[in-house]
Amino acid sequence: MKGYGLFYYIAEAFRGLRSNSVVNVLALGTITMAMLIVGVFLLAFFNLRGAVNTLGERLEMSVYLRDGTTQQEREYLLTILKSERGVKKVSYLSRAQALELFKRELKGQEALIEGLGENPLPDSYEVSIDQEYADAAKLEAMAKKFSTLPGVEDVSYGRQGVEALAGLLRLVVYGGTALAVFLGVTVVFIISNSVRLALYSRGQEIELMQWIGATRGFIQGPFLIEGMLLAMFGAALAVGVLAGIYYSLPQIAVVFLSGPNGLDFLPPPVVAYMVAGGGLLGLSGAKVSVDRFLE
Amino acid sequence: MIQLHRVTKYYEGVPALRDVSFTVEKGEFAFVTGMSGAGKTTLLKILYCAERADEGQIIIQGMNIFRLNPSSIPYLRRNMGFVFQDYKLLPHKTVFDNIALALKVVGAPYGDIERRAYVVLKKVGMENKRHLTPPKLSGGEQQRVAIARALVNEPQVLLADEPTGNLDPQSGHDIFRLFKDINMKGTTVLVATHDWETVKKMQRRIITMERGRVTDDGKRFGRPPAPADLSGAKAK
Repeated sequence: MKGYGLFYYIAEAFRGLRSNSVVNVLALGTITMAMLIVGVFLLAFFNLRGAVNTLGERLEMSVYLRDGTTQQEREYLLTILKSERGVKKVSYLSRAQALELFKRELKGQEALIEGLGENPLPDSYEVSIDQEYADAAKLEAMAKKFSTLPGVEDVSYGRQGVEALAGLLRLVVYGGTALAVFLGVTVVFIISNSVRLALYSRGQEIELMQWIGATRGFIQGPFLIEGMLLAMFGAALAVGVLAGIYYSLPQIAVVFLSGPNGLDFLPPPVVAYMVAGGGLLGLSGAKVSVDRFLE
Repeated sequence: MIQLHRVTKYYEGVPALRDVSFTVEKGEFAFVTGMSGAGKTTLLKILYCAERADEGQIIIQGMNIFRLNPSSIPYLRRNMGFVFQDYKLLPHKTVFDNIALALKVVGAPYGDIERRAYVVLKKVGMENKRHLTPPKLSGGEQQRVAIARALVNEPQVLLADEPTGNLDPQSGHDIFRLFKDINMKGTTVLVATHDWETVKKMQRRIITMERGRVTDDGKRFGRPPAPADLSGAKAK
């Protein structure tokens, strides 16, 4: 005679979840909290990575000119910049134009600039760079070369911003990984305890099933699925809570927190991995308890 | 059907069974008697693979259980029904659900469960109480349900350990009559009991044990145990 399929085990797992509802609700709450913390780190990771990539790929360089540069020097500089490999377009931005641009960007807060008195911005050449030069090393070499040209005060291509963000990203990756490992172990431990309680509460039934010829798979199946479902529900609930927080954030906070791409929510595949990962942790926790109990 | 050859079992160095040898043929009905501590329960537990013997050979339905892989034990048990002194029914499940569990464990098709559970409950006269839970039944009725559960998968062998130990004499007598009917239909039955009066009336083979040894193996009528044995049995 054939054994029962997955549906039987799932139905039994739900029965088990209902019969130990208090313990399971407590476990679910703890798992949700743990997965929520992992979710926050994942959200930070994906947004920071997006920002680093976008800034890193922004193919514009500002070559600031020294005060008092002559027309002749500027024309010479323009020729050199245009002849550089990888340079697509060079346009001149006078200090007055730069101030106008700056004012437009700070719309509503022009008073800040009024307070400055004299225009502090320098004249510059805005250099557009070819896509094939979108490489940190090449950009740095180019910036270094430009900064040695006569009449050049400084060169900026947002490197500092990118580096700061990359540092933060590294911190999020290392800190997040360590925290995820710790929280993963916690989830395994919680599920293991919750399944162990379920095993003890149904000890009489399990012993009887062994006596009347139940295979190990038949006995352990519902408990493994119970652990897996509990952790998956926890992960799904955490994603739900995270989405709730994300969509209810005031617009001003979103603008403040967002990178150049805006603040994105976790991509659907990441949500799927999070829930599946939770399920795997739940399965491991349940397996630990079932193996110990049936030994 | 069941062959034991010089089976010995120790508990912490103390022998519980010593050189036990006998054969139970297919379709036979045999009793194992003896006072408490004689080794009856240990013997049945070994036959049911709940304990492992330390020495000797045991062959059940052609399978040498010494060489049996632990993962094969459930399949051996499916061909053997076991009846316990304390019934081992699940108190929160109905009579029907207790029987259905034994069918689910072996993967019986869902469509067959209700019919087969009803048929076996009818066989033990409990079909009208199938919706009750065990605490609402008398001891004799609970044991009938336990027997129904042991029989539902149509095992070739039925083992019972003190099945009437918790019952009044009349209920005990009814249970033994039920075993006799089951045996008449071809099932091999081996019952461990110290209920000497009933054993005598049944007129079946009696294997007498004392301190872990088989002291008598009467083919039809056993020698009554010594008075000391009986007093020990009653004390239990």
